[in-house]
Amino acid sequence: MAGDPTLSHTAAIILHTIGAGYGYGLRVMEKTGLPSGTVYPAMRRLERDGLIKSQWEAQSVADAGQRPARKYYRLTRAGKAALIATLKRYPLLVGLALAAEIKE
Amino acid sequence: MHFLRRAMLWAAARLVPRRERAEWLAEWIAELWYARQSCAVDVNRFCLGAFQDALGLRRHASECEPGAASWLASPSRCLLFLAGLDAMALLAILPVPRPSEPIPLRAILLLMGMACLILLPTTRLSLGHYPASRYAPSLATRMRRWFFLAAKIALILAGMFAGLLLAASLGEKTRAAAVLVDGLLLGSVLAFRWALRDQRRRCPVCLRLLTNPVTVGQRASWFLEWNCTELICPRGHGMLYIPENPTSWFAAPRWLYVDSSWRVRS
Repeated sequence: MAGDPTLSHTAAIILHTIGAGYGYGLRVMEKTGLPSGTVYPAMRRLERDGLIKSQWEAQSVADAGQRPARKYYRLTRAGKAALIATLKRYPLLVGLALAAEIKE
Repeated sequence: MHFLRRAMLWAAARLVPRRERAEWLAEWIAELWYARQSCAVDVNRFCLGAFQDALGLRRHASECEPGAASWLASPSRCLLFLAGLDAMALLAILPVPRPSEPIPLRAILLLMGMACLILLPTTRLSLGHYPASRYAPSLATRMRRWFFLAAKIALILAGMFAGLLLAASLGEKTRAAAVLVDGLLLGSVLAFRWALRDQRRRCPVCLRLLTNPVTVGQRASWFLEWNCTELICPRGHGMLYIPENPTSWFAAPRWLYVDSSWRVRS
């Protein structure tokens, strides 16, 4: 990737949520309160930019739980670096995440 | 009801580029299953989001193709494209016999006036709100976007003039000339519309087309929260927020200048 990625506030929230271990779209929606029409397209862009990568869950694991296999997302090395830079730019993101934890 | 939701996902999948469709649909169907188990999610609205996701993928696929839109992202290429069109129009009228009388200035002004009259009720004329900021560039840099807009309009006017020359050479009262003038009027309205829209979608600093649109909020909730599209300058000069439903407090696109740490180092 050429240079540092520039992330909007919404994309930064989503990256931060994935970085916090909420690795699939529905969970990111629940944590951030953003609608599916915002979360999924933003996750596609983050993946396209090499900040996150996706992997399908093993079918055997899903079968054992009698549920469909789901696609998990996690940060790449570039994504972790971008997240550190983003947290400096948007310091309130950490506070938002903490507030969500307390609310739960 | 579940059948209808799956039908919505299937319909949205038609918009996804073919090579990504199967995996995209598998992911959304799996997520739908989980959304139905969750009490925190409105499943119908969740499914509607699939259309936005599918349209985003479709738009990205078309942006990746070397099409006119990506080629015109650079301001110099945009002007070159318009100048090229003008040159082609001039070449096309070269073999046509010259009109016996010069085109009166009022004909050009009349055509421009009519185009403006049509534009006023049909097009958003505001070029956006660019609030003062300590990160704003110098006045000279900010003026560049006005020169760019003026250059685009001048090149469009040059094209209109070439069209009028052709219409005049066909004779004042011929059917072909009348059709050409009507076409010219429609064409100039569309060209001015494009010039304004293109101007709104450009970074005021580097004049490149903005990228990475992200939809924020929902139309149904616009009274209580933001409902806009965020775009970002590919070189990191700032962000543009375009309201989906213009309101009294957020009517025009709003630009946000950002500090130099955002600049993209290539």
